[in-house]
Amino acid sequence: MIRASALIAATLALSAPGLAMAQIAPEVGASDTDSATVGVIGNVPAQCYGGTLSGDGSLDLGVLIDLTTGRLRTDLATPGEVLVGSFCTSRSTITVNATPLEAQNFTVAPPAGFSRRVHYLASASGWTTTPASYNTATAANAAATQSRDSAFTGDITVAISDFSTDGGETLRLVGDESYRGVVTVTLTAVN
Amino acid sequence: MHAPSIIIAAVTALLAMPVFAQSQPAPQDMPVTGNVPLICALQTGQIQPGTSNNVIGLDGDTLRIAQFVNPDTLSVKAASATVRFDAVCNFAHAVRVESANNGLWPTDAQITQAPAGFAFAVPYTASVSWGQANGQFNTDAKSRRLVQQILNVDTPVAGQLDLKIDIAEGASNVETSAPVIAGNYADTVRIFLEPR
Repeated sequence: MIRASALIAATLALSAPGLAMAQIAPEVGASDTDSATVGVIGNVPAQCYGGTLSGDGSLDLGVLIDLTTGRLRTDLATPGEVLVGSFCTSRSTITVNATPLEAQNFTVAPPAGFSRRVHYLASASGWTTTPASYNTATAANAAATQSRDSAFTGDITVAISDFSTDGGETLRLVGDESYRGVVTVTLTAVN
Repeated sequence: MHAPSIIIAAVTALLAMPVFAQSQPAPQDMPVTGNVPLICALQTGQIQPGTSNNVIGLDGDTLRIAQFVNPDTLSVKAASATVRFDAVCNFAHAVRVESANNGLWPTDAQITQAPAGFAFAVPYTASVSWGQANGQFNTDAKSRRLVQQILNVDTPVAGQLDLKIDIAEGASNVETSAPVIAGNYADTVRIFLEPR
């Protein structure tokens, strides 16, 4: 509070330069006219906002297997999520990271012929010319980070595709009421 | 005239501090979810090549025996076959083998009495091999009733379930090698893959 008071007082003194001049000793060369220049400056920091998730914010695939074979469905699909109103005030990068779908209750190593993990490709489009993408089945994901050279605001569509069973398509998935993974999209301002 | 410049700079710095705190990366997490229902599936069976003895083959779901009795003695002639089913259970489960009649019994309802010394029902064994579970199920044909055996399996299993039906030479529900009363004989064996 002490600092705030001092600043206010100083600002008041600035607001009436003629009066201030009258209270101090005359300088050599003083006249009846005086002026002062006050610079007004500000800045817009480089910052990003990730937007607001559409829907319930999750990518729900429902039943993962063909009920007659026990193997991963070949027609898996889910509507994409949209990050509405994302923006960055400077050039930026967009990065997609993802973890595979994993059985949450069957946590031990699956027996022969079974798997407890499903891989997929996560992509984020609308921000950069080339969508950022991350495949949980591969160790290297060079396309996971994409750069944009200008400030931007818009929607980012997040989608998942290219599903595969960890260990090979001949494996069945262990029964589990909850398989779960996470897709993370990160906008980072670049100064 | 230097003092105003200092004051303005100080105000700017004070206002700027919370703004810079907003320039951190902006991550958004989206859970990806799904489920795998607990299922068991059993496909149509096929006789394993090389396992048939005195068996014509599978007619739909019916295992037909070529020659049920020895024509010279009228006692039961040995017969066996292994039927293989492609199957899967994606959770810990049980195998239940059920005989509807506890042996092979006449399908002709008119046969109600058996003369002494004649067999009127025929016992057999059913062996099951499924994953790490193996079991042998014996019918004795002493009484006509439903009998069953249950094997617990602690893990998911995918592969082949083998069911071996084995009728011993001279099998009888009275004395071994007793002659069998004329008629058609049948039983129904059911296999269930089910929750424990």
